Amino acid sequence: MSIFHGMNTTASALTAQRLRMDVISSNMANVDTTRAKMVDGEWQAYKRKTVTLQPQGANFSSFLNVALGTSSKDSVGNGVKVSSINEDTETPYKLVYDPTHIDANDEGYVEMPNVDPLREMVDLISATRSYEANVTVFNANKSMLSKALEIGK
Amino acid sequence: MIEVNELDIFGGTISNLERGLNFSATKQKAIAQNIANIDTPNYKSKTVSFDTYLSDAKKSSISSYRTTEKHINFEMKNGNVGISSRNNLSYRNNGNGVDMDKEQADLATNQIYYNALVDRVSGKLNTLQTVIRGGS
Repeated sequence: MSIFHGMNTTASALTAQRLRMDVISSNMANVDTTRAKMVDGEWQAYKRKTVTLQPQGANFSSFLNVALGTSSKDSVGNGVKVSSINEDTETPYKLVYDPTHIDANDEGYVEMPNVDPLREMVDLISATRSYEANVTVFNANKSMLSKALEIGK
Repeated sequence: MIEVNELDIFGGTISNLERGLNFSATKQKAIAQNIANIDTPNYKSKTVSFDTYLSDAKKSSISSYRTTEKHINFEMKNGNVGISSRNNLSYRNNGNGVDMDKEQADLATNQIYYNALVDRVSGKLNTLQTVIRGGS
């Protein structure tokens, strides 16, 4: 726990939220991508990507120590990290009837990405708000640190 | 003759204010951690309460082993005191237990509290300086 611990915590959250926004941008950009990757000689449409967050330093030993009572007190923690970027395999592809499309199947349907622009916009706003909240915390932290420098003046 | 370790010009005020500042800084870190994890599933918010912080801070310090009184005593303070999580609280569907409004309010309160403490430390030091200068 150094003096910049709070700022590092906030910085990790800013990084994580920015990555979330990048992933949302990628989803929105690929809303019509039908050729994301080749699987067994067939082109597959883009799959919506999601970000999974987890607290930094949330490892097995820390949980075990708290559960055993070895370290009875919780620590403040070291912020947040992105544990993985997952592909959304739950939501099905949207089927669009377009026989002229080059990736249409025998019945004339095209598998479009499972990206829902509305959902992405909601996630985007959520990420923006979280980012702003962390900027507020950062500024508060900064003003506290500069105030501490005024001790004795 | 006055021995150096009996010269008590600070009278405990500074050290009490210092504890307050330490508490406030720890609380700031806890708030930063909570707001950083606002979107983390199953994260539970951490709180720092003043009375537990103060009693823990008094207990958890480790003093040096001194064979002579002239040895300078040093103290090591445990950094993780008075912090607790509320494990049974959920605000959202993903199990997250961070109340954004509460955190923002705590953030504002904590800042004012910290500034007040800094102001008091400065005031105390100015008083001492006035005494040292003999009121001139």
